[in-house]
Amino acid sequence: MFDLIVLGTLLTFGYVFGQIAEKRHYRSILRREQQLRQLLLVPSRFPPMYVHPPQTFLVSGSVVISVDFFKVFVAGLRQLIGGRMRSYESLIDRARREAVLRMKDEARKHGASMIFNVKFEAVPLYKGQRNSVQSVEALAYGTAIIPARRPGT
Amino acid sequence: MLLSNLEIVPGRKIAKHLGLVQGSTVRSKHIGRDIMAGFKNVFGGELKGYTELLQESREEAVVRMTAQAEAIGANAVLNVRFSTSSISQGAAELFAYGTAVVLE
Amino acid sequence: MRYENPKVPEGINVTSEHPLKEFSQLLLGVVAVTVIIVVMLTLLAERIAQHIPFQMEVEIAGQYRGKLPVRTAVTDYLQGLADRLAVSQDLPADMRITVHYVDDATVNAFATLGGNIVFFRGLLEKMPDENALAMVMAHEIAHVRHRHPVMSLGRGVVIGLALAAVANFSGNDLAGRVLGEAGLLTVLGFTRQQEEEADQTALATLARQYGHVSGADTFFMLAKTLPHAGIKEKIPSFLSTHPATENRIEKLRRLAQQNGWAMNQPTRPLPESIQVQIKHRSDHESGNVSTHFLPR
Repeated sequence: MFDLIVLGTLLTFGYVFGQIAEKRHYRSILRREQQLRQLLLVPSRFPPMYVHPPQTFLVSGSVVISVDFFKVFVAGLRQLIGGRMRSYESLIDRARREAVLRMKDEARKHGASMIFNVKFEAVPLYKGQRNSVQSVEALAYGTAIIPARRPGT
Repeated sequence: MLLSNLEIVPGRKIAKHLGLVQGSTVRSKHIGRDIMAGFKNVFGGELKGYTELLQESREEAVVRMTAQAEAIGANAVLNVRFSTSSISQGAAELFAYGTAVVLE
Repeated sequence: MRYENPKVPEGINVTSEHPLKEFSQLLLGVVAVTVIIVVMLTLLAERIAQHIPFQMEVEIAGQYRGKLPVRTAVTDYLQGLADRLAVSQDLPADMRITVHYVDDATVNAFATLGGNIVFFRGLLEKMPDENALAMVMAHEIAHVRHRHPVMSLGRGVVIGLALAAVANFSGNDLAGRVLGEAGLLTVLGFTRQQEEEADQTALATLARQYGHVSGADTFFMLAKTLPHAGIKEKIPSFLSTHPATENRIEKLRRLAQQNGWAMNQPTRPLPESIQVQIKHRSDHESGNVSTHFLPR
């Protein structure tokens, strides 16, 4: 009986605070995506040919986002039944978009206008040997292109 | 919607690049499959349940990527790449991304 | 070649469905399936367990024997009472009851595998007459007759294995815990049913043995006055292994009325020698014996 009460309390905390954090994060993501929309992301490998060769360098952005108790519990139940794990989908989506925004921030700081050959890595980090996810790390990296200044301007 | 792993489409010209589109999904199989897989770990052989799981996930990720591309007005997605990661035993996350383009 | 960056709509990779909806659907689904499976497994386990011959029960019980309590006059008296009640209950000839008497202040009695019944001194002290004692004895003999101990064993093994398998294979021990709780609550329903069955058989036995059922509810009335009774009554009955005491008393009285068994006849007292023995031991423990009665 007692551990059911503890479980319920943890679930409530996880749900309330997790939802608050997620909604706040998404608002921030949407706002920054709008601001950085000018900086283009292209997964292709061949940038266009420039008359004057541009500067290129590697940029990357990464973030580690933690699960909350509610997500873990729902994922555990979902594993018994099968199907889409909606709680983890939002987690990974947030992590990737945040990583992309941080990569764009770094590129913008150097004055780049485009990032080519964007690639992603996402790694779940586990807690102990119990096979339950503790957090998700997302990494986005690419080559930023800084167009050369045209001589005479 | 044309999907391709190449940078270019032979014989067609790219009018516009519309940037990155991505589709991701996290799925798991039910506990029955997990228990059978546990037994298979003793005897060996193909884990059909998990093969199915990953195929379904891949299809769904591609469908979502295509949906994003359609929503922004592209008619092809080039340079498609996949990335798989496992979220605990019996659950897999699949991510597909590529460049949405408008072909002439 | 132009490069653009249009805004991609939300809701493709992430669902906008409320997480609590998914949570409640999953929880209800999992609990419902668990209850159904546990009920089916329990019925199956109990059905199969009843085919284990009684002799095998005796052998299993024999293996677990630790230090046996010393046989005293009280043990012999209890064994005699048990044998008489076994006849009244039509116990099959190959089922022998073996009574063990433990000289301890615990107020309890239980039946276990192989027809072994254990009585504690604490319980005997509280019995005002032989009829009340006989009711408790008949209840335990009824457990043996209906093969409840071996059914509990089979049920415990099967459910334990199933829950361990699921908890092991699910990637998350929390889900395993939820399943465990749901399974446990379902199993408690079965143990309550067994207690009611034993109550009914015991009442009928008492009627056959003495011609009336006075003293049948004595033990339950006493149970209400025990120190931890208050706490026990506050536990909701679906969390408990036994039905609520009030319910048991009421059911017994109704059953007596339906069958025309009288509850107000005079009862038979416990034999003097037994009363002296029990009181002597308990006085020793509480230190009431004056020193000049001890041998020098």
